[in-house]
Amino acid sequence: MIKLEDVTKVYKGEVLALRDASCDIQRGEFVFLVGQSGSGKSTFLRLLNKEEEPDSGRIYIAGKEIGLLNKWRVPHMRRQIGSIFQDFKLLPNKTVTQNVAFALEVIGRPKHVIRDQVPAILELVGLQEKTHRFPHELSGGEQQRVSIARAFVNRPLILLADEPTGNLDPSTSVGIMRLLERINETGTTVVMATHDRGIVDTMRRRVIELNDGEIVRDQARGVYE
Amino acid sequence: MNFDYLFRETGRNLRRNLTLTLASVLTVAVSLSLLGVALLLQKGVNNATDRWENGVEFIIWVQPDISENQRNLLETDLNNSTGIASYRFVSQEEALQEFNEDYFPDNPEITQLVTTDVIPSSYRVIPAQLNAEAIEIVAAGFEAKPGVKKVVRATDEISKIETATDVIRWVVLGAGIILLATGLLLILNTIRMAMFARRREIEVMKLVGATNWFILIPFMLEGTFQGVVGAALGTASVYGANRAFEEWLSSDNVLNILQSFAVSSGDVWEIGFLLLGIGALVGSVGSAIAAYRFLDV
Repeated sequence: MIKLEDVTKVYKGEVLALRDASCDIQRGEFVFLVGQSGSGKSTFLRLLNKEEEPDSGRIYIAGKEIGLLNKWRVPHMRRQIGSIFQDFKLLPNKTVTQNVAFALEVIGRPKHVIRDQVPAILELVGLQEKTHRFPHELSGGEQQRVSIARAFVNRPLILLADEPTGNLDPSTSVGIMRLLERINETGTTVVMATHDRGIVDTMRRRVIELNDGEIVRDQARGVYE
Repeated sequence: MNFDYLFRETGRNLRRNLTLTLASVLTVAVSLSLLGVALLLQKGVNNATDRWENGVEFIIWVQPDISENQRNLLETDLNNSTGIASYRFVSQEEALQEFNEDYFPDNPEITQLVTTDVIPSSYRVIPAQLNAEAIEIVAAGFEAKPGVKKVVRATDEISKIETATDVIRWVVLGAGIILLATGLLLILNTIRMAMFARRREIEVMKLVGATNWFILIPFMLEGTFQGVVGAALGTASVYGANRAFEEWLSSDNVLNILQSFAVSSGDVWEIGFLLLGIGALVGSVGSAIAAYRFLDV
């Protein structure tokens, strides 16, 4: 599903973000990306949806080398990849429903599809009672659920999560991780960058550790350290 | 493409940036009305020149006491000159009648003062070639003939007016173009502000896989809207200016010669459509530049 071959990324000719990274992630896997701040975790994720371009090496998504994609194909590729973030990136002037519907609207989904899918996904993430609230009226955990709903409403093949529990307290984080597990069980490949030792150690999934831009560990059913 | 979404987003952007939008619209309006006035002047001068070129090109006024002999000689010269297509003799009586009808139809007191002794007879000459230099050569040849009082070229008067309107036209045109460039920059800036205000939405749109066109079109529509509305205001003021000019022409104290500067309503429409086109172009180009520079597509 995701394959990196000798990928190197250098920022502004100096800061090495990723060096000769190679790995192969299968469909349906749940992978933790761990390492210090600045070890290259975010760069790893940003390369996967072409927010950044590698300086060398090849990246394959669903069997296609994304470096060879036409520029105008990139948006279509991104529809296969959902993303969630530490800061949620919700639109403050839109309600929960509107935030999720927006993701479908802007890729040209017809209205009846939006009307069907948005309530269904909000029920999946447990927000059916809060559909008309605005983001500032929700707790951090609830906001992250909205952002997960937005990322998953289009049923992507891959979900990229950049420290999704970074702003949440431990008990709320557990709920978010349960949700990500459920999404993973539907066959969606999940790649999650995290600092949260507790989560990694409890879930015992594949762990890829980065240190100064190099993959120093790739362990099935791994722990944080 | 979802039109509902498009118009909603465009409308929202326009309202959010109301002051800047107004500034852009008004600048485009003022610049295009200047441009329109310059074009109107051009049309007017062309009309006047056309009219004179189709009519009498120069007039040879003869001395009131010209002898029969001198007149015969003059007519022989007119007949033999290769530079002359045709001519017509206008007697003193005809000239007087023309004078009264053309200039003072409602003032019999004045017409009574003017008698045939005051107005000399003349030859109205249509030259073979209708360009100013050729006319000048032919006309000058008759100036020194015996019995000729004066040779008056219509082109003299027209060219004086042409020179004056030329200057005005270039000044107006220059101001219009500078203002149009200002309008373009204002639209560019308005769109940039709109994109900055919506940077979070744009980020999300890119993230979930909206195409670049989908992101850009509301902004381009916004810019085009500003250009077109500005152009519509500009067209309206050009139309108004032309109406005022026509009204002034039909008032009593205006020289006949200025009548030939009147512009047909077809010309005004033509200029109006041109202005709308320029407005739309400026708006879409301005927003496209802004979008291209600030979207990082």
